[in-house]
Amino acid sequence: MTTLACGLLMIGAFFYVFWPERNVEAQHSKTRLEYLRERREVLYDNLRDLNFEYRSGKYPEEDYAAQRATLENEAAETVAEIELLESDAFAPQHS
Amino acid sequence: MPAFGSFSLLIALVLSGYNLLAGAVALRQLATGRRGWISPEKLAETARRAGIASFFTTACAAFALVWAAFTNDFSVAYITEHSNRALPAAYKFAALWSGQEGSLLLWAFLLSAYGFVLRVRHKVDVKLTAYASTILAGIQVFFLLLVNVAATPFSLVTGAIPADGNGLNPLLQYPEMVIHPPMLYLGYVGFSVPFAFALGALMMRYPGEKWIHITRRWTMVTWLFLTVGIFLGMHWAYSVLGWGGYWGWDPVENASVMPWLTGTAFLHSVMMQEKRGMMKSWNVWLIFSTFMLAILGTLLTRSGLVSSVHAFAQSAIGTWFWVFLVIVLAVCLFTYVLNRDHLKTEHKLESLVSRESSFLFNNLVLLAACFTVLWGTLFPVLSEYVQGNRVTVSAPFYNRVAVPIGVFLLFLTGIGPLLAWRSTSMRSIRKNFVLPGIVGLLVAIAIIPLGVHPWTIFTTDEQGGFYAWITFAMAAAVITAIFAEFWRGGKVIQQKSGQNLLTSMVQLTRRNTRRYGGYIVHFGIVLIFIGISGQAFNQSHEQTMNYKQSFMLGPYTIECLDYSQDSNPNYDTEFALLNVYRGGHLVTQLSPELRVYAASQQPSTIVANHSTLAWDLYVIYAGKDPGTGQPVIKAFLNPLVAWIWIGLIVTIIGTGIALAPNLSAAIAAQRHRAVVAPEVVAAGKAGD
Repeated sequence: MTTLACGLLMIGAFFYVFWPERNVEAQHSKTRLEYLRERREVLYDNLRDLNFEYRSGKYPEEDYAAQRATLENEAAETVAEIELLESDAFAPQHS
Repeated sequence: MPAFGSFSLLIALVLSGYNLLAGAVALRQLATGRRGWISPEKLAETARRAGIASFFTTACAAFALVWAAFTNDFSVAYITEHSNRALPAAYKFAALWSGQEGSLLLWAFLLSAYGFVLRVRHKVDVKLTAYASTILAGIQVFFLLLVNVAATPFSLVTGAIPADGNGLNPLLQYPEMVIHPPMLYLGYVGFSVPFAFALGALMMRYPGEKWIHITRRWTMVTWLFLTVGIFLGMHWAYSVLGWGGYWGWDPVENASVMPWLTGTAFLHSVMMQEKRGMMKSWNVWLIFSTFMLAILGTLLTRSGLVSSVHAFAQSAIGTWFWVFLVIVLAVCLFTYVLNRDHLKTEHKLESLVSRESSFLFNNLVLLAACFTVLWGTLFPVLSEYVQGNRVTVSAPFYNRVAVPIGVFLLFLTGIGPLLAWRSTSMRSIRKNFVLPGIVGLLVAIAIIPLGVHPWTIFTTDEQGGFYAWITFAMAAAVITAIFAEFWRGGKVIQQKSGQNLLTSMVQLTRRNTRRYGGYIVHFGIVLIFIGISGQAFNQSHEQTMNYKQSFMLGPYTIECLDYSQDSNPNYDTEFALLNVYRGGHLVTQLSPELRVYAASQQPSTIVANHSTLAWDLYVIYAGKDPGTGQPVIKAFLNPLVAWIWIGLIVTIIGTGIALAPNLSAAIAAQRHRAVVAPEVVAAGKAGD
C-alpha cells in the first residue's frame, strides 16, 4: 500500500511537472512606457489625496497650492514623456 | 505511513531543488539571451510546476505525521516523544509543531503553501514571480534539507515499539497552543514572500515600485499573522505560566518581536517609496533584515542557543541555520552591491516637519527598539563567548529602553497622519494639532485625581506612574487625532452625498481602505498601549487559606469555599474553589488548579481569571502549605489588561479593512465587467 502511494506520488509529480504545455506565459521585461504609466497613476493618486485632504480642511490654501503645483509639474513631465514614447512607438507603423 | 511521509519529503526536496536549478537556469538564459535545447520559457514553466507540486508533496508529509499522531503510531520516534494515547485530539494535532522535527516540517509546509499561492498567481507579473519563485525555492530547499537530513520527523524508534508515548509538554496543553504556533509560523514564514519579491526585483533591476504594490497584501497578511501569533503567545503566557504577567522579555518572545518591529517599519516606509520613490535601499534592507530576523527567531526557538520557557525543542541544528543565515546575507549583500545604482532615490527629504520625516523617525525608533531587543537577547551568548560566563539581561534593561521608545512611537502614531507630504507649515500644524493637544492636556489633568501620579518618578524609583500618565494623555490625543481624520473626511463625503455623518465615514473608509484601515490599526495599537500601561498599578497578595478564610485585594474579597484533588487518565489535579465578593455581593467563583501530567510527570498551573474592562482578578494555586496541607493562593489585580486583547481585535479588524480593495476600484471593476460583458456577448453573436 505504502509502495503504491509512493509510486503514485512520484509518477503524478513527474507528469505534472513535465506535461508539455503549449501556451507558456512569456516573460516580458517592463518597458519605460509601462513604468511611466504606473508612475502617472501614482501621481494622479497623490493629487486626488491632496485635493481630498484640502477639501476636508486639513491644509491651508498656500500649502495646498504649493503641493499641488509640485505634483502637477511632476505629472506633466511624466505625461509629456509618455506622449513622446507613444508617438515614437506609433510612428513606424505610418512611415 | 512513516515511509510515505519520508518519501514525500524526499520528493518535495527533489522538486524544490529542480525549481531552484531550472528556474535559475531559465532566468539566466532569458537575461543573457542564450538558449538551450529547451526554450527558457518552457523550462521556467516546469520549474514553476515543480514548485506547485512541492506543496502537495510537503502536505502529504505533514498529513502523514498528523495521521501517525492520531493513530498512536509509536513506531515513529517523534510521536513517542510528543504524544500519548490519553492526549485529547486537538493536542494530537498540535503534536505536529510541539517538537523540533515537526515544527520544521510545519515551516516547510507553510513555506510551500505560500509558494503555491505565489506560483498559481504568477500572471500578476510573470517575470518578477519567476524570480521570486526561484528564490523561494532556495529557502524551501534549506528547510527540506533540514527535515530530510538533520531533523527527520519520521525516524523510527530503535528496539521494541513502546506501548504508549511520553505525552505532550504540559505547558503546551492549552487551547491557544493549538493556534498560536501556526499563527507565529505563518508570520515568520510569510516574510519569505516579500523578501523573495524584493530580492528578485533587485536582481532583475525591476523598474518602478509595482513590486511593492504586488507584495503589499502579502506583507500585511504576514504582519497580521505575526501580530496575532505574538498576542496569542502573550495570552498563553498570561494564562498558563502563572506569574501574573504576559510579557517577560524571554528570548523566544524577543525572537518573535524583532521581525515584527522591522516588518512594521517596512510597512510604513514602503509608502514613501510608493508615493515618492524615496528610501529604496532602506526598504530593501528592511525586508532583508526582517526575513533574516525571522530565520534568527526560528534558530533561537529551535537550537537551544538561549534558554527560554518557550523553547520547547532544542538540538544541534544551530549550525545549519547559521550557515543558511550567512548564505542569505552574502546573497543579499552581493545583489545589493551589484545593483545599488538601481535604488537611487527620486526625491530628497525636503523638511524635517513632513509626513516623510515622521515615517523616517518611526523607522529609526522601531529599529532602535529592534536593536535593543537583539542586543539583550544575544548578550548572554556574547558574554559567554567573551568572558566565559553567561550574563543574563533581565526585564528592567528592556523596560528602561523599550518604554520611552514605545511612548515616542505613540507620539509619532498621532502626529504622522496630521503632517503633509514634503513639508508642513506652522499654520497647518496649528490647524491640526490644537484639538488633540487640548484633549491630551485635559486627560493628563483629569487622571491625576484618579491616582495616576507622574511625580512618583521624582519621589521614588518607580517610573511606571510617570510613563502611564504620559501614555494615557498621549493616547487621548492620538485617539482624538484619528477620530478627527474620520470626522473631517466624513464631512466632505456628507456634503457631496447628503448622507448622515456615520454612513459618510463608512463610505470614506471604503473609498480608501488602506489609509483608514491603517488608522483603525493605529487605534488598536493605542488601546494596546493603554492596556500595557495598566501594569504600573498592579497589586498582588499571597496567602495560605483554610475553609471560609478570606483576604482583600483592591475592591474584591476572596473567600476559600473548598479545596480538593481529582484525577483523570491524562493528569492529576489539586484545586481550590474560591468565592469572589465585591461590595458584599458575590461576583464570581474561581477555581485555580495545579495539574501533574501522568505521562511526563510535569506540573502545570491552570490560572483562574475574572476579567473586566477595569482589571483582571488573576488567581493561581501556588501549591500546598507543607505544614498545614492547606492551599497557597496567590492573587493579582492587574488593571486594564482586557484592553490589550480588545486592541488586538481592533487591530485585526483594521488590517482586514486595509486589505480590502477600495470601493472606487471595486466599482470600476464592476463597470469594466459591465462594459466588457456586452462586448463579449456581441462578439459571440457576431461569431455566430
